[in-house]
Amino acid sequence: MAGENKGNEMRTVDDFTRPLEYLAPVDKFLGEIVRAWAEREVMPHRRQYDEDWEQHSLIEPAFKSLMGELGLQRMMFPEDLGGWGFGHSNYIGTGGCRLCEEVARADSGMAVAWAVTYWPFFMICNEPHVNRRLCEEFAPMFCDTTEARFAANAMTEPQGGADIENMEIVGGSTIETTAVLDGDEWVINGHKLWPTNSGGVCDLFGVVCTTNPGSSDLDDFAFIFVPADTPGCTQGGPYQKAGMAADKNGDIWFDNCRVPSWYRAHGPGLDAMYFKEVISMGNMGSTAFVSGAMMNVYEILKEFCSEQTYRGRPLKENDDVAGVLADIARDIDIIRVLAYQYARMLDRPDLYGERWSDEIVTKGRAYKYFACDRAVEDLKKAMNIMGAHGSDRLCDVEKHWRDLKIVQLWMGGKQLCQMEVARWFYECETI
Amino acid sequence: MDYQEIFPVPVEWLQDVDRSMASTVAGWADAEVMAGRLEHKEDYESLLAPAMRKLLIDIGLQAMLWPDELGGGGLSTPDAAMTLASVLEQVGRADTGIGFLLANTFALQSAFAVEPHRDGALLEGMAPVVCGDEVVIGSLVLPYYSGESSAQFFGLPYQASASSDGDGVGLSAKGARPQCSGANASVFGIACAVEGNPALVLVPSGSKGLSAGQPITKAGLAASLNADIALDNVRMPAAHVVLTGVERLRETLSWYYTFCSAVTAGSLLAVYEILKEWGDTRVIKGKGQVFKENPLVASLLGEIGMRIGTSRILTYNAARMVSAPDVYGPAGSPAIAATAVSTFKQVTRMAMEAMDNTMELMGSAGYATEWNLERYWRDVMTLQSYVSPETVTQTDMARHYFDLKKL
Repeated sequence: MAGENKGNEMRTVDDFTRPLEYLAPVDKFLGEIVRAWAEREVMPHRRQYDEDWEQHSLIEPAFKSLMGELGLQRMMFPEDLGGWGFGHSNYIGTGGCRLCEEVARADSGMAVAWAVTYWPFFMICNEPHVNRRLCEEFAPMFCDTTEARFAANAMTEPQGGADIENMEIVGGSTIETTAVLDGDEWVINGHKLWPTNSGGVCDLFGVVCTTNPGSSDLDDFAFIFVPADTPGCTQGGPYQKAGMAADKNGDIWFDNCRVPSWYRAHGPGLDAMYFKEVISMGNMGSTAFVSGAMMNVYEILKEFCSEQTYRGRPLKENDDVAGVLADIARDIDIIRVLAYQYARMLDRPDLYGERWSDEIVTKGRAYKYFACDRAVEDLKKAMNIMGAHGSDRLCDVEKHWRDLKIVQLWMGGKQLCQMEVARWFYECETI
Repeated sequence: MDYQEIFPVPVEWLQDVDRSMASTVAGWADAEVMAGRLEHKEDYESLLAPAMRKLLIDIGLQAMLWPDELGGGGLSTPDAAMTLASVLEQVGRADTGIGFLLANTFALQSAFAVEPHRDGALLEGMAPVVCGDEVVIGSLVLPYYSGESSAQFFGLPYQASASSDGDGVGLSAKGARPQCSGANASVFGIACAVEGNPALVLVPSGSKGLSAGQPITKAGLAASLNADIALDNVRMPAAHVVLTGVERLRETLSWYYTFCSAVTAGSLLAVYEILKEWGDTRVIKGKGQVFKENPLVASLLGEIGMRIGTSRILTYNAARMVSAPDVYGPAGSPAIAATAVSTFKQVTRMAMEAMDNTMELMGSAGYATEWNLERYWRDVMTLQSYVSPETVTQTDMARHYFDLKKL
């Protein structure tokens, strides 16, 4: 019962705070299903994931189970198209937050690969800007199969990624991937790299393009869907990285790819506006991944510090060690509260503002980079307390340290977050 | 690249032999490691093992402390610490893992190969192997959590228990974690308590009763093929007890921390090279600004540079103090030991901060294996966590600085 004194019960990850009154009705039900999936399908194999970065022979079955068989890839689509209707749910934020935590607790690479599949769908499935025609077009690909299907948000280009996300200052003027209307088709040309779910994995791209190269008029910012099997669309192999093996990232070339004109998400001005909602959701997911992964670090650290001895007693019973453990637990609790608070803000645009508003985007950036900064420092502390075992692959803490670093780096990185936060809170005009 | 022009250190401490050896090893680094890592990444068999062989045998690093007349490099006095630190900086620049192996090897050798503790008989006995054509790696087995021995080194149990009689020492341990190379070290230096006193015992691989467990996979340090070792009443002659007493063990640790600092400082030089190449002409297109001329980027670059420069100065300072006992007192004195461990902690801490910041600036390029940054980042973090748990070193430092009596 809420508020009950837990006395001598052993603490678990579920003791980290969440605002209970915000939770989705399906939170317990869905959370338990995904946690059971993670324990069964991921935890026993995740130590081999780094070597599986290219083939995904171990990773693929777990994705199939989560996305295809359990059906999480259908979440955003309307119910009458075989989806779960989260696009019109009042709990898209908090419900999504819980699921992101549970998957990331096992493996944040899997978490981002699964969650980013929703990114392009936020553009067309979310109220109040549902594009019904595009939902009907793409729902069968994701809802009529038990195979895992992936979508990707093709945004970053070789000359820079942060610039493209820096919409307020740059206005899309650095986008070099072009979309030219030729009759009733868009012709897409360009080179993208690094999106999650590229590297040969993707079935459907949401491509950030410009209809007027060099323009900073947001009317010229276009978000256009390109199925991966469109002639002229080529994916390169995955890059090898320091971590996040379950997330494949590579190059994509669009060479005169033709798609119907109605494959554009919305239209001039609206694409850019709703794309900011994609950013907000991405920042919520990132914060939730950090929360989930750090909760697993807590579990591992607690066990280690209960079993290992120093000065004749368990590590955790030494004041100096306890001080560090306290800092880590404190940060996890705060990150979790932040993640759910932001998720709540996304659930209640009537109270907090539209998901694409500058305020909501800014606050998402702030929480994301706070969470990542704390996690990066706390993971180093955890590894240092654990001594030689801190870097052991068999102890799993080093895995989370490697994986969460890229969470700090993606979506424009820390410096873009800083600029957007400063811009909003201090009304900066030139940074 | 002349690092003295960018990150200067006090040159009056450096002798010609320090500079010439460092220059030789810098050439090895460029030719044998840097040139091959795009193709081979951190592969042990195709890159690291051949590079180590070239360094340790062909260039002769593994025998630096052995007498000339036995085929060694002839270094025998404490100022060898400065020579070896200069060399290890260049090794760390090439590969942190190889540097870490050498830090272990040299620290272990310092216990019996450097005046006033130089043991001629032991050196002569080991010369055919060390001065021969097989790679010889030494690995320290230091006190650690949950060690089996009831004896402790300032609260941290030894990983092996020891019993002695007139002829020698018997060692027992179930799953001891060496600092490096448990699977293929040539000799281990096992810290233990012999008749109540801290001691270091040499145990060659292949000794009866010594066995290695399963290979340990870890975040970094690919050159270290580590495994836990077991000692089933391994008996060693008295001559293999190369040191006894708190101050002697501290002296070995002072050398070890200094060498690990040097390796880390070298890794930072490599990171500087990577960041410079990546960012020197990069443009933030949206602002029409050269990347490094952006004020926020410049602030981070300044911090990174500060950490690299300061790490070098601290490392060379520690090396100076360890190498000049006539000026600073024995390297095992509480003051020098605390300085060595403080240096190690600060250098590795700053290194991780600098590497984290560098990766933030480089974004996904920093995270991809192609640019090599992520390898140094993993390697230094692994080294930092291996050498000494955080709270243990904090207590060690506090014990000296604030005269602790109970901890």
